[in-house]
Amino acid sequence: MSERVRQAQVGIVGGGPAGMAAASALAARGRSVVVLDEGQRAGGQIFRQLPPGVAPPAGVSEPPSHDHGHELIDAFEGAQVELVSGATVWDSKPGRLWFEHAGESHLLECERILLAPGAMDRCIPFPGWTLPGVTTAGALQVMVRGFGVKPGRRALVVGSGPLLLPTVTALLAAGVEVVAALEASSRWNALRALPGVIGNGARLREAMWYMKQLVRAGVKLRWGWTVLRCEGDRHVERAVIAKVDGQGRPRLGTERTIEVDVVGAGFGLVPAIELGLLLGCDSRHLAARGGHCLVVDEQQRTTIDGVFAAGEIGGIGGAEVASAEGALAAAAIDHSLGGPAVSEPLVKQARAERRASDAMLRAFAPLPGLYQLANDDTIVCRCEDVPLSEARAAAELHGRSSRAIKVGCRAGMGPCQARICGPSLQQLATADPACEMDVPVVRVPVKPVRASTIVNAPG
Amino acid sequence: MSDNRSSMGRFGSDEREAVTFSFDGQEIAARNGDTVAMALWAVGEATLRRSSREGRPRGVLCNMGICYECLVLVDGVAVRACTTVVRAGMKVERGGTPGE
Ligand SMILES: Cc1cc2nc3c(=O)[nH]c(=O)nc-3n(C[C@H](O)[C@H](O)[C@H](O)COP(=O)(O)OP(=O)(O)OC[C@H]3O[C@@H](n4cnc5c(N)ncnc54)[C@H](O)[C@@H]3O)c2cc1C
Ligand code: FES
Repeated sequence: MSERVRQAQVGIVGGGPAGMAAASALAARGRSVVVLDEGQRAGGQIFRQLPPGVAPPAGVSEPPSHDHGHELIDAFEGAQVELVSGATVWDSKPGRLWFEHAGESHLLECERILLAPGAMDRCIPFPGWTLPGVTTAGALQVMVRGFGVKPGRRALVVGSGPLLLPTVTALLAAGVEVVAALEASSRWNALRALPGVIGNGARLREAMWYMKQLVRAGVKLRWGWTVLRCEGDRHVERAVIAKVDGQGRPRLGTERTIEVDVVGAGFGLVPAIELGLLLGCDSRHLAARGGHCLVVDEQQRTTIDGVFAAGEIGGIGGAEVASAEGALAAAAIDHSLGGPAVSEPLVKQARAERRASDAMLRAFAPLPGLYQLANDDTIVCRCEDVPLSEARAAAELHGRSSRAIKVGCRAGMGPCQARICGPSLQQLATADPACEMDVPVVRVPVKPVRASTIVNAPG
Repeated sequence: MSDNRSSMGRFGSDEREAVTFSFDGQEIAARNGDTVAMALWAVGEATLRRSSREGRPRGVLCNMGICYECLVLVDGVAVRACTTVVRAGMKVERGGTPGE
């Protein structure tokens, strides 16, 4: 890429299911489209591909949803779309996306922006979560499915939500023994998800496929269990696990110690809304959908003119929601540029997928008791090395807002820009899991780039 | 050094070209396309930096460029090990404080 300023009718951030579906549909309508994605290949988080030259061992199969993924990727790769891989979008205004690519500063000028940046794992601190070998559930998936690296010998997978299952199957595919797979939510809660799963053929098939893999490997998903702490000298060596009650509070006397050398912890996902906030879009807090979500209307329009959003950014929903909303956003964008009206079936499809996923996510509503796992010494802000005791003192002294807590103890001031601690900091510092959550504060660059990229930004 | 050399590693078949780089002076064999974090993990090196106040070992948390727990020095510059692709002859050192 040599031109530092380029133009397209539509600029899309993110080449996951939402971005791919939108890009293919827009190209089919004759629109010029540029997709910017940080990753090296199309596919997003779910359809992550191994690098060329690496093959999984024989006998490893894929879940049924990946058929749909291959179709999406094939259509996307066959479409008249320009994908810029390895492009990090770090600033945006309506009609403009600034990004870094191969160390150079670029600007995409576009008439419409579609935000489809997906989500990230939610972390809930517990003693020992900073030990090397303890990662997010997603990190282990990336390791196995993106790099062909074997995470360890004996694994614990712990947290809450549908993503624990693909984490377990990824580990099994890599030949790792999954010693325990713990879902904090109770079996009773899980029953509430059933209508959403049974009412949706694709979701039911997907769930059955995962269950079959677990049964075949002799791994039991234990409902109503979580991790109390991880221990080890310089690397995780063991984990203490326990049963929790319906609120996620550990039950005394149920502790058990297991020897593990890798732990994947994922307590659901958090929508990546930073670019939307930077553009001035409204957000709202929807606990069941992962926290602060971008507000979109029935045509995927945000509250800012010319800016659309699709997929996890509007709330956690999974790949089916993402691709349906991507297709809908494409039709709405095309219409806003003078194309035909948005067809009703596209709207209906996206709404139906959202309903199904909302119904399923009800089973995994965040449990307040999990915020009691951390003790005084547990680090809550990993960048600035701030223990819970200091965050509590800051909240007491300076106030319960995220800003007050930050000023008081530096939690959230480090380079991750509070992406890791932010989603749980207020609950932890105020010891009130039901506290009102402030909208995250975003600053430019929303993703770290070189100083030269900012100084040399075109436009 | 970690005790995990035998348990971490790779799986499946891998026909990529070998690339070597140094980590705290020690030679590491990686594969073309690996990130620094994954190349080190595959040989059992999970500690990538020391924490800012207490000097505790830290390593990969998110593996997707979000958390900054994997900061290392590559040829003297602080970068995220999980988003930095290995190059032959690269000089990598354990990172310290994730200063801005
Ligand atoms: C680690 C992980 C693993 C997952 N595994 C599964 C699974 O196995 N099964 C399942 O059903 N769901 C899985 N999910 C949930 C998954 O996010 C959704 O199902 C689906 O991928 C959402 O699609 P999307 O298009 O909204 O976002 P994504 O697929 O997340 O795609 C977003 C893309 O945007 C890019 N991006 C984000 N910000 C920027 C930026 N500033 N500049 C440039 N590019 C950017 C990212 O690199 C990414 O490729 C996983 C999620 C995560 C985080
Ligand atoms: S492990 Fe999170 S940024 Fe590298």
